Amino acid sequence: MFAVSQPIYRIENLVHRYNNEPVLAVDRLDIEPASITGLVGPNGSGKSTLLKLMAFILRPTDGQIRFNGVPAVPFDESVRFQVTLLTQDPYLMKRTVYKNIAYGLKVRGDRDNLTQSVHEALAMVGLDPDAFAQRQWDELSGGEAQRVALAARLVLKPRVLLLDEPTASVDAASSELISAASMRARSEWGTTLVIASHDRQWLYDVCDEVIHLFKGMPVGTGRSNMIFGPWIRQDNGLHVKALGNGKCLTVSAPPNEGATAFIDPAAIRILGKGEGATTAHTAYLDGTVSRLSLERPGGDLFADVRAGSLTLVVRVSESHLAAMTLHRGWPVTLAYRPDSIRWR
Amino acid sequence: MDFIFAGFIEAIHLLFGGDGQTWSAVAATLKSSSGSMAASLTLGIPLGFVLGYFDFPAKRQVRLLVDTALALPTVFIGLVVYAFISNRGPLGEMGLLFTLTGIAIGQTILALPVVVALSATAVESMDRHLRTLLISLGANRRQLLLSSLWEVRYGVLAAGLTAYGRVMTEVGISMMVGGNIKWHTRTITTAIALETGKGMFATGIALGLVLIAIAFGVNVCLSFLRKK
Amino acid sequence: MQTKKQIVVKACVIMVLTLMIAVPALAADKVLMMATTTSTDNTGLLDYLAPYFTKATGIELKWTSVGTGKALKMGENCDVDVLLVHAPSAEKVFVEKGFGVNRREIMYNDFVIIGPESDPAGIKGKNVVDALGAVRAKGAVFASRGDNSGTHKKELSLWKATGAAVPEKESWYVQTGQGMLATINIAAERNGYTMTDRGTYIKYADTMKGNPPLKVLVEQDEILLNQYSVLAINPQRCPKARFDLATAFSDWMAGAEAQGLIRDFKLLGKPLFVPNAK
Repeated sequence: MFAVSQPIYRIENLVHRYNNEPVLAVDRLDIEPASITGLVGPNGSGKSTLLKLMAFILRPTDGQIRFNGVPAVPFDESVRFQVTLLTQDPYLMKRTVYKNIAYGLKVRGDRDNLTQSVHEALAMVGLDPDAFAQRQWDELSGGEAQRVALAARLVLKPRVLLLDEPTASVDAASSELISAASMRARSEWGTTLVIASHDRQWLYDVCDEVIHLFKGMPVGTGRSNMIFGPWIRQDNGLHVKALGNGKCLTVSAPPNEGATAFIDPAAIRILGKGEGATTAHTAYLDGTVSRLSLERPGGDLFADVRAGSLTLVVRVSESHLAAMTLHRGWPVTLAYRPDSIRWR
Repeated sequence: MDFIFAGFIEAIHLLFGGDGQTWSAVAATLKSSSGSMAASLTLGIPLGFVLGYFDFPAKRQVRLLVDTALALPTVFIGLVVYAFISNRGPLGEMGLLFTLTGIAIGQTILALPVVVALSATAVESMDRHLRTLLISLGANRRQLLLSSLWEVRYGVLAAGLTAYGRVMTEVGISMMVGGNIKWHTRTITTAIALETGKGMFATGIALGLVLIAIAFGVNVCLSFLRKK
Repeated sequence: MQTKKQIVVKACVIMVLTLMIAVPALAADKVLMMATTTSTDNTGLLDYLAPYFTKATGIELKWTSVGTGKALKMGENCDVDVLLVHAPSAEKVFVEKGFGVNRREIMYNDFVIIGPESDPAGIKGKNVVDALGAVRAKGAVFASRGDNSGTHKKELSLWKATGAAVPEKESWYVQTGQGMLATINIAAERNGYTMTDRGTYIKYADTMKGNPPLKVLVEQDEILLNQYSVLAINPQRCPKARFDLATAFSDWMAGAEAQGLIRDFKLLGKPLFVPNAK
């Protein structure tokens, strides 16, 4: 069904530089209308830059972003009232809550039922309109401010809502309200959501697709294990990363000491009891199951296994699932082939 | 030292006893300072905004120039303005010497660098998130500019108050350009200078207190524009 | 809330506007602009004479009181119509250069040399030349205006009269660069001598409740007389200058009414100026 529809975003050959340093390079990225896309990646991987480009706040150094099939740049009328971005730090204008939320509608010349719209938006993020509408910008807690900032976006009923770590700097209650309100935007108005977050579990739960960004480039979708160096060369020629508690992760030769390793969750097996036979080309690691989760689109079961300071995501195949019992806290041994590790 | 206390008593007499000369000086001070503030704010806020908001090739040099102009001595400004509006100066025909308009011109030169520099600083210190916020709420270029300016209104207000303080209290320009003419261009500060020269220290103190009272009144009025 | 705030703001605006409109209106068609020295203004002489002048001639007199040097410069720049100053030699140069015309002597007051009662240089009762010679010989502190004002020029002429150079660089010779009263105060602080016009000294003595630390030690010497003159600005050079009004002022000042008024003028109960118009 989506196959015939036009993507709302098509990014092609996009390169963005700050002071001549490339910070983002996306060869191609499509985003479908009314989808939810997650962006994960360490700090500095280019998530915020990509969102600002998609919000048409920055103009890419090279390449283009098509919106609804039409190339667009900042201030274009075709995107001005369609896309809105919520940044990580709750930032409000030095005005009342009411004026902050009404601003976008006023900019659109949409002054009918202003008060009602603002009150609905406040209610949507769980703030009592009577108590909050006339408060000043500096009379709010961090979580309240972020919710007001979200309400200022939701009141616009946007085609696209871009969220840059919306829950990173707020308390748990606000975090829940923010994610609920964002989801409602999609279900009520068919809003397309793109969410950058460090909360992988949340993203895997709600997103149609999760894109990994690393050093300014998309490096894959879905679940992945990203393991940073440094790697220590041992006498036997192998390299390891110390994980504490005497545990270490054995890898094949990394391209350099600080390289980042990627291990596909499907490339790791959980060994059953006694299934410990040593085979050449296979490495082992003891750990504890810390979480079990179901991935929404595929219906696969994933286990998070903690080994020392590292948590690895492992896909549990159905055949395995039948053969063993897995609980949180269950000790397991993981087996993987070091030569299946990809490096960046 | 007793002339300080005497001055305090006299200040009350001057203000509430309906002393014509005092009120004439108060009016002259308010007229020239209002004129110069209107001019320097009208010119200075847009200039300060441009200087703080945009990047252009000679920005640093312009900024250096404006910051240096903050140190312009009032007597020097007075002398330069006098040279221009003196009857034998290039603008002598306009008859601005010994007028409040002439004083206001000099005070505008005094206030302009303050307004430009301080509003530029206010604009520079504007949160970098503001631009992101406004664009993502759908503002076009014009709305972005106007809303940004409105966001720094407290900084601009502070710039205006600082400039007003300099203008109200300067004596060099008023003396040189205005000539301290009784009933016409005698401002509170030139009156203080005259009374001090006459040895009437108590009257000088009294007039100083009158000036402070006016400044207080202006600040009280403006504090209502500020929230909380 | 909103309305209360608006009321306050409106009240403030109205207050300011009222003040700005409520200016004493002294409208006169004929306005004479004069530059004069601080001494005539500070003594209150002009405040005393101006209403009589306006009553007699219908001319409003506006004046700016500045140092003699600046007053002459303003005349040279055609910024005023008439001058009332007290620096005879500079005035003569001013007329020779064609800047001013019709110089007319109106009145004089006098200068005095004052110093501490203890009189360390022992100048009391001496004439000016001997007194200054004694100050120099003793190296006693002497405060000078040092501001190129008429009074300063007078003081320099006294030093020249002693036949020796002006003690510009001597450590006991303090150049204040300030007004007369400030200079007297500095002389008093340093327990030194200075030369002042009598008017300023009378006020200084009055502020000290009649017992000033500095006393008059040398007076009544011919050389200490301080001649005031009126000069009209040359209308050929300055077409905009109101020569007619300047002449009217000059005539009135030299006339019987003004001469009598000048004689009767008292500063803190003491006569100050001696009319001598010819």
